Amino acid sequence: MARAMADNREPDGIVLTEAQKKSRRERSIAIALALGVLVVLFFAVTMVKGPGVLVRPM
Amino acid sequence: MSVVDHNAIESPRISEADVADYIALLKPRVMSLVIFTALVGLMIAPGHVHPVLAFTSILCIAVGAGASGALNMWYESDIDALMSRTANRPIPRGRITRAEALTFGMTLAFFSVMTLGVLVNWFAGALLAFTIFFYVVIYTMALKRWTAQNIVIGGAAGALPPVVAWVAATGSLSMEPLLLFLIIFFWTPPHFWALALFRSDDYARAGVPMLPVVAGPDATRLQILLYTVVLVAVAFAPWPLGYFDAVYGLTSLVLGGGMLALAINVYRRRQGSQALRATRKLFAFSILYLFALFAVLLLEVVVHALAPSIW
Repeated sequence: MARAMADNREPDGIVLTEAQKKSRRERSIAIALALGVLVVLFFAVTMVKGPGVLVRPM
Repeated sequence: MSVVDHNAIESPRISEADVADYIALLKPRVMSLVIFTALVGLMIAPGHVHPVLAFTSILCIAVGAGASGALNMWYESDIDALMSRTANRPIPRGRITRAEALTFGMTLAFFSVMTLGVLVNWFAGALLAFTIFFYVVIYTMALKRWTAQNIVIGGAAGALPPVVAWVAATGSLSMEPLLLFLIIFFWTPPHFWALALFRSDDYARAGVPMLPVVAGPDATRLQILLYTVVLVAVAFAPWPLGYFDAVYGLTSLVLGGGMLALAINVYRRRQGSQALRATRKLFAFSILYLFALFAVLLLEVVVHALAPSIW
């Protein structure tokens, strides 16, 4: 019985402070934006080069 | 009785680093100069570069420069903590760990080189990889703590961005980007030794063998003067050699005169507040000098594009 009650408790994991949550959210948004820029960049260059995108000049 | 002392288990470090801390790792002021000089290298290159490819090239070069800055701060965090100029950087302040900076720098280096190679050309990508390697391994790891010639040889890394940009635009090398390389290469010693003269206590405390620490301020003043003479000649040469035109040549002559006068002033005034003021003036003017020289080249391209009949 006591064991079952213990299982219902919130886990004793690490609880982030508000500052840590805020900075993590900021970093996540920055990573998402960077990945978005990369996707747009590859798309735009593919459109610009057309079939020439497969040509790899040294 | 518990075998494990729970108080002794450290909780894992949770980062509170925000985006501004990671931007600081990129050395934004150095990056802005890299972007500007690379832009000039790209713009003066012959032929037409599609704006998307031009933007991609400059972005990759900028991110590559940022990666170099982050890897530099990763390696130098011990000496950064000892110098007042650098003690506020994210690693000495405890905002970012060395491992985080290393991962960040390596990730940016990888993506900048690969993106430039895949989207623009592999010659430019390889040159960018070499620039990052030269700055991090040759300058930061090998030269900086070993020889007073650290910034002379290491200056090559800072001089390469316009060459990378030219190669990105043309796929080949020629004389013009090498002239830009030489200008930045010979500009670096007077610029950094002027800084080192009024920061020599910092460098001495950190054990960095900058020229004023190793050879003394007077020898440094002489070296500044000698390198400035070479710089002024190298910066002027492209005009008589026929690579850049008269507007650039005359600008380089006027600015070179100012640079030389300030270097002579540094050489002559060796004591007290006058010496300090002379050094600070040279340091500040050297930034304006390089900016103005490259701005003239950029301006000529813009004017030529807007009103070709003027030229």
